[in-house]
Formats: sequence, C-alpha cells, structure tokens
Amino acid sequence: MLTEYAFWFLTFVAIFSAMGMILSKNPVYSVLSLIVTFFAIAGHYFLLNAQFLAAVHIIVYAGAIMVLFLYVIMMLNLNKVDEEKRSIWSKAAAAASFGILLLVVSAAIGHGHAQSELQSVADTSAIGTTETLGLSLYKEFLIPFEISSVLFLAAMVGAVYLSKKEQYN
Amino acid sequence: MKELILISLLGIFVLALDVLQLRKLTLPAIVLGLLGLMACCALDWNRNEQPFLEYGGMLLFDNTSLAFTFVFSFLALLWFLITRDQFATDAKRSDLYALTLFSLCGAVIMASYSSLVTLFLGIEILSIPLYVLAASDKRSVRSNEAGFKYFFLGSLASAILLFGIALVYGATGSFDLATIAAAGQSNSSLISIGCLMMLAGFAFKISAAPFHMWAPDVYQGSPTVYTAFMSTVVKGAAFAGMFKLFAIAFNDFTESHRSVFVAMIVLTLLWANVVGMRQTNIKRLLAYSGISHAGFMLAFVMLGASSDPKWLIYYVLTYSIASMIAFVIVNYVESYHLGMEDQDGFKGLVKKNPTLAIAMTLSLLSMAGLPPLSGFMGKYIIIGQCMRADLIGLTIIMILTSVVAMFYYLRIIMLMFTPLENAGRIIPEKGQMWIIGIGSVLIIALFFGASIFEIIQW
Amino acid sequence: MPIEILLFKLLLCGIIFVVSLGVAAYATWGERKFAAVLQDRVGPSRAGPFGLLQPIADGVKMFMKEEMLPNKSNKFLFILGPSLFMLTACMVSTVIPWGGDLTLGGVTYNLQITDINIGILYMFGVVSLGIYGIMIGGWASNNKYSLLGALRASSQMISYEIAMGLSIIALVMMTGTLSLREIVEQQNAGVSYVVYQPLGFLIFLICAFAETNRAPFDLAECETELVGGYHTEYSSMKLGLFLFAEYINMFISSAVMVSLYFGGYNFPFQTEIAEALGLSANGLTIIQTLIFFGKIVGFILFFMWVRWTLPRFRYDQLMSLGWKVLLPLALVNIFITGIVMWALGLIGNN
Repeated sequence: MLTEYAFWFLTFVAIFSAMGMILSKNPVYSVLSLIVTFFAIAGHYFLLNAQFLAAVHIIVYAGAIMVLFLYVIMMLNLNKVDEEKRSIWSKAAAAASFGILLLVVSAAIGHGHAQSELQSVADTSAIGTTETLGLSLYKEFLIPFEISSVLFLAAMVGAVYLSKKEQYN
Repeated sequence: MKELILISLLGIFVLALDVLQLRKLTLPAIVLGLLGLMACCALDWNRNEQPFLEYGGMLLFDNTSLAFTFVFSFLALLWFLITRDQFATDAKRSDLYALTLFSLCGAVIMASYSSLVTLFLGIEILSIPLYVLAASDKRSVRSNEAGFKYFFLGSLASAILLFGIALVYGATGSFDLATIAAAGQSNSSLISIGCLMMLAGFAFKISAAPFHMWAPDVYQGSPTVYTAFMSTVVKGAAFAGMFKLFAIAFNDFTESHRSVFVAMIVLTLLWANVVGMRQTNIKRLLAYSGISHAGFMLAFVMLGASSDPKWLIYYVLTYSIASMIAFVIVNYVESYHLGMEDQDGFKGLVKKNPTLAIAMTLSLLSMAGLPPLSGFMGKYIIIGQCMRADLIGLTIIMILTSVVAMFYYLRIIMLMFTPLENAGRIIPEKGQMWIIGIGSVLIIALFFGASIFEIIQW
Repeated sequence: MPIEILLFKLLLCGIIFVVSLGVAAYATWGERKFAAVLQDRVGPSRAGPFGLLQPIADGVKMFMKEEMLPNKSNKFLFILGPSLFMLTACMVSTVIPWGGDLTLGGVTYNLQITDINIGILYMFGVVSLGIYGIMIGGWASNNKYSLLGALRASSQMISYEIAMGLSIIALVMMTGTLSLREIVEQQNAGVSYVVYQPLGFLIFLICAFAETNRAPFDLAECETELVGGYHTEYSSMKLGLFLFAEYINMFISSAVMVSLYFGGYNFPFQTEIAEALGLSANGLTIIQTLIFFGKIVGFILFFMWVRWTLPRFRYDQLMSLGWKVLLPLALVNIFITGIVMWALGLIGNN
C-alpha cells in the first residue's frame, strides 16, 4: 500500500519535473528539474529493490553528468531566452510526430497488457542487490562489460582529441 | 572472438606507440594487424564457432560474420593505405588512427553480435569515434557543423533504437536473438513497435529515407578521408547488423511488415536520385548516391530469409570499393584546388591527371551499374531477387531510378573529359596511385566475383 | 517496524543533528584556539571561561546581521544554494553507526539511523550532491568571483571523488560489503582496516581534505585571488550555513574515516576490558560511542593541524595531484589488494 503511494508520488514528480525541464526558459532551471527527475527515477529503482542501481544512478547522473551540464551552462552564461525562435510549423511537426509515437507506444503497451504477455517476475527481492548485479555483470554480461571499455576508451580519446589545443602554424 | 580481441588491442597498441614516440611504426603495425585480422577470419572459416555460452552467448562468429569482418578489414586496409599521405605530416595521427580502429572494432561487433546488448554497444562503438572524426578538422566550420549534426541526430537515433530494444526486452524478457526469434514477432504488438523503433534507428545509421537528412551535410562537412570511411565500412557495418537483426532474427516481423520496407526503399530511391540530380557539390552528390545505394541494400534486408547474406556482402564490397575510390579522388582533387569541392574542380581532369580521371570514371560507372563493372552485378542480383519475390512495382522503380542516377554520374564524367582552355596545374602522380589502380582493377574484376563464392564453397 | 523503534530513530535523528551542530560550533572555537596555539596567541578568551561561549556569540551575531540579497541575483536559487549545502552535509550522518546496540526494556535499539546495505554508495551519492549547493549558490550570486569559486570548488570535488571512490573499492574488496555497520563490526577483533589498507587510507584522507574544501585545498575561497570565493555575496545566516556546513562536513568525514579505517566505535581489548570492569552491554555501548567521538575529535584536530601548518596549493598542482598521483595510486592499490587476496586464496574460488 505504502509502496503504491510512493510509486504514484514518484511518477508524478518524475513526469512534472521532466516537463519542467523542457518547458522552463532558463537553462539552469532545466538542469535542476532534470536532477529532480533523476531522483524520482532513482526512487523507482528503490521500489524495485534495485538499491545499487538507484545509488549509482544518483552518483553518475545527478552527481557527475549534470554537474558538467551545469558547468557548461554557467560558463556560457546562457541566461534566459537565448535560443533561436523556431517556426510554428517545425514545432507543430515535432509535437505531432512525437505525439503519434507516444500514442502508438502506449496503445501497444496497453494492448500487450491486455494479452497479459508481460510476465511478472515472481521474486524481485534479490534482483537488484549489489551481489546479484555483480555476479550477473561479471558472468553473464562479461563480454558486453569488456566491450564497453573499448567504447569508453574511444570516447575518451575522442574527447581529448577535440579539446586539445590546435597548433596554428 | 579472437578477431574482436585483435582489433581492440590494435587500437590500444596504436595509442601506446604514440606514447612511446614510435609514430613511424604506426602504419606498418596497423597494416600487419589488419592482415592478421583477415588471416584470422580465413582460418576460422567454416569452423562454426559456437557462442560462448558460459558468458551468455553474446557474440557469434559464424560464416556470415567472418565474411563481413573480412570485408571490413579489407576495406579498412585499403583506406589506411590510400590515405597515407594525408596523415604523413599530421602530428596527431595516432589519435585519429586509433579512433578509426575503434570504429572498425564496432563494425566487427555489428557483424557478430548475437544479443541486443552487444548490438547496442556495437552501434555506439561504431558511431562515437565517427562523431569525433567528422569534427576532426577543428578549424573548419563545416567540419564542426558536420560533427555536431551527426552527433545530435545520431544520439537521437541511438535513443530510439534503445527504446525499441527495451520494448522487445519487456515483451520477451530476453536479449538473446535466438530466444527472441523463437518467440515470434507477429503476435505481439509490443514487439512490433519495438522492432519498428529499431528499424527507425537503423534507418538513420544507413541513411535511408526518411531518416537520411543528415547524410549530405555530414558527408560534405567531414574531412573527405572520413567521408570515405563513413560511406564504406560504417554503412556496410550498419547493414551487417541490420541484416542479422531483421532478415534472420526478426524474420517474422520483416515478412509481416514488408510494406514498410518497400515504402522506405521506394522513398529512398526516389528522393536520393531526384534530389541528387540537382547537386553541384561532388561530395553531396556522392552522398545522395550513397543514399540510393542504401535503398538497394535495404532490399536485401527486406527479402529476409529468402535472400542469402553473401549477396549483401558482395554488394557492400563492390559499392564500398567504388565509393572509397571516388571519395579518395575527390580528396586529391580538392587538395589541389584549395579546398574547392565543387564539381568545377573536376573540369578537364583527364588533362590534369589521366589516372585519376580513369579511376573516377570506373568507380562512377560502377556505382551507376553499367555492365562490365561490378556494380552492375550487385544491382542485377537484387533486382532479380525482387522479381522472384513478385515485387514488380519495386523492380520497375529500381530500374527507373538507376537510369535517372546515370544522368548525374555521366555529368561528372562529361565534366572530367571536357577539354579545358588552360589546363591549369597538373596534379602530380603520387606514390599510392597504384592503390587506386588496384581498386579500379578490383571494380572490374569483381564483376566475376560471384564465382568467388563457388571457390570457397559457400 | 515497531512504533518504539520508529520513535527511537526519530529521537536519534534529532540527537545526531544537534550533536553535529554542536560539534561544528565548537569546532570553530577549537579551530581558533588551535590556530592561536600554533601562532603563539591567546585566541578567543572574552566570552565565558576560555572563550567557551564564543560560538554562541558568533551564532547570535550571524542571526542578527542584516539580510542582504544582491539586486540582480536569482532569489530562489540564491537561497536554495546554502540550504542544499547544509542538507547534504547532514545527510551522510544517517548511515554512520554511532555505536552498538542499546537494550532498554527488552527492546534492542541500534545506534544507527538506518543500516542500508549500500551505505558507502549512499554516502558517495550524497557527497556528490553537495556540489550543487556550492554551484547554485555561486552562480545565483551573479558575481564573477563567486562563479569562479564555485567552479573551482566543484571541479575539485569531482576530481577527488574519483580517487576517493577507487581508494574505497580496495577496502570494499576486503570487506565484501557496502554496509558501514558491517564494516565496523568486522573490525571488532582489534585490527583496524588501516593496517591492511595504509595506502588506501592515505588516499582517502587526502581526498577527504579536498572534498571538504579544507586547507591546503581551500582554493574555492582563496582570498588573494577570489575575494571570498563562492560565498562572497552571502551575508548573515546564509553565510553562516555555508561556514557551518563546512565544519559539519569535516565532522562527518572524520566519522566516516574512523568507521572505515579505524574500527569505528570498537577499541582494542574491548571485551576484556568490559569483563574486567564488569560492564553491562549498555554500558559498553555507551563507552564505545564515547570512544568513537574521541577518535573523531582526534581527526578534527588533525584537520586543524594541517590547516595551520601547510600552505595552500596552486590550482594546477591540486589538479595534477588528484589526477596524476592519487588516481593511479588508487588503481595500483586496487591491483595490489587483488593480487594479495588472490595469493592468499581469499578470492577466485567461486
């Protein structure tokens, strides 16, 4: 019962802060709303017994990535409305296409649910603990884990390359 | 598996050579490594390596993957050799080489994944170095623009692909391709939506309409050497991944949603060739040509289980060689015309450098699909297969758009052979002109390449 | 959860909050006295005996000062900044085990607000959020020096968080748990983890200095370059919150270090001593808690000693220390720990 209330509360917070992130004119407010969204999602992870994911979600997204976002915004001093005005048509087209996507996905999920094809996992208590996650990460998902190291190395080399000072000669 | 390990280690080794101040050894090391990679593929041939089940069976190197890996490493080898001069004086070439190799690593994963997790990682490893490479000419505004455009749209496409993966996982509870294939895709709306979103994500990567908008801008803005890489290895890798996903694992979906594929192909072919006619910038023109070829290759995916992957590999190889040679020649010509990549730079090329003009003509005609060249064979095969699948309308559109495409290829050829009043500077012959020569020979020789499959008994 | 335990936990929350504030307040007094000793001065001496009422006088002063809001600042964020900083400073204390079990009227109470099984990760999450208080406050002041101070502080904290996390990983490899209580319990045999993890402790200690923005890493408020750093524009109690939160941070990070590396509330020969003195379990728990606070005070004194002994680092020195020395060292530490554990057959069996 309490869990259900918590779920609805977190969902409410997540959706509204996500909307706040998109709708606010001030980029700093956008970032702050996004952080609130991350917290709400971390709360959802907690409800799913995935404490490790919740904590890592906060540390990585709210604690590191969004700080870098804030950096950029603060350094560029993007105060209020600096963004380009877009034509009403492009806005309408974007809204329409993503609206259709939302409709289709929600219809599919509703339809799928009616067919009860979403198997519910019987025991969720041990899924998200650090031990289970670690074991599945280093056994079942060892290859993707190692492969992602290549991804990070590539991203790191790329970032260093792009930020290195160009020698003008 | 050892192919993947080899290629990742090669990338790291190149970085290590840079740290050890041994930059002279970089290119020989890469060439050796890629040759080794090709040798590995040849050795593993027909061995039917099983997925590593103790590690969840995330990768599978069957004959198709090996053939794709072989083709990608061959193309990469060609690319490294052909662009050697470009990097000879670049102090930071190790970084760029390493990024290219990492991208190739992504291509190998795209050819060999057998789980949606590795698919996503592969597509990211393939793309992220490219975002950097597209923007690697830091002083050029266009290159920056290309990098940004590619990055933003590419991230969006990845996000949509990931959303699709999530929906499929939600419906089936598994990332494993075999499990999902066994579950069937036509009876669940959730899987269908997931597949459609994955299709959209892939359509972006292969630049098929209506997700192709980025391609001309990015191809034009990026340094031409990387455009050559993008339009060959990367596009081929995206198709390798797509074929595995839609023609093999999601065959159900592909069969039941054939109309979606047909619509995409028709739209791609019409759009690319009609808009391509009006381009005067040669890189944009080649970009549109690449889009139209994506339409043809998409037909292989559409035919699903009834088409054999070897023909897709053949098409990728022939198109890639022609495209790479065309882009490399554009790179030569523009470097001698102070960055002018407009088609005017090609005026009277036959006087300035006949080798380049002939090689360019060969590759353009191959892309147009003229008979004694390998490009014809690819188009012939796919059109024949579409005929057999009773897709008459599609076949007619394919033939008609090929004829339309012939116009703009011929326009460039005409320009090259137009006599010029004052011939301007002669473009000197360079050491690696022989590679272009070999490439051109390959364009012709591969016309008979279909018999290769007989020789290796595939 | 039974109602009496819930009430106890609420009470404990209140007690810890008050104690944190008290420790922080008297840490300011201690800091000034300590500086005075090192600099051969008297220090605060007017308010009460030995100037002991000085923190109260300071607090009253902070509250009484005029409230100032810069004209062009963002009011909401300007107030949010110090509040967030204070909040995150207090939040870590919930996972710290302040003592063993107390048994009152047949019910066992645990002297820890909550024993979540990801205590260390929770701690890192909260610490990484502490950056926002500084950044928001610094940015909302609409002042170049504040912004620069905030950027310095946050980039410093992010950089050192990495080395800090890696130094703890080596410890976690040995403990096999992320719960602070279990880590403390594992040390009750008398051998603290600092014996096994000297390098890890050293890295953690240096990082703790950087994380709390204490000297010699207090570049964020480097007066000679940045006026007052991120709190240049702050006055009255909002400034007070920033200053207070820093002392609370120091207190909490001392507590964390004691729990992780110095046995927490355990002390050598505790069972023998308890037997010899004929202590009840509750009595032992109280003594343990007192010992714990004693250790914390020791660390706080160490913090002060360092502050009044070492000069401030230059910014590039700070960054190269973090990235080029501590980070590789922490990795080496993980590697060595892994090798030793493997050689002793502690891992690799399943």
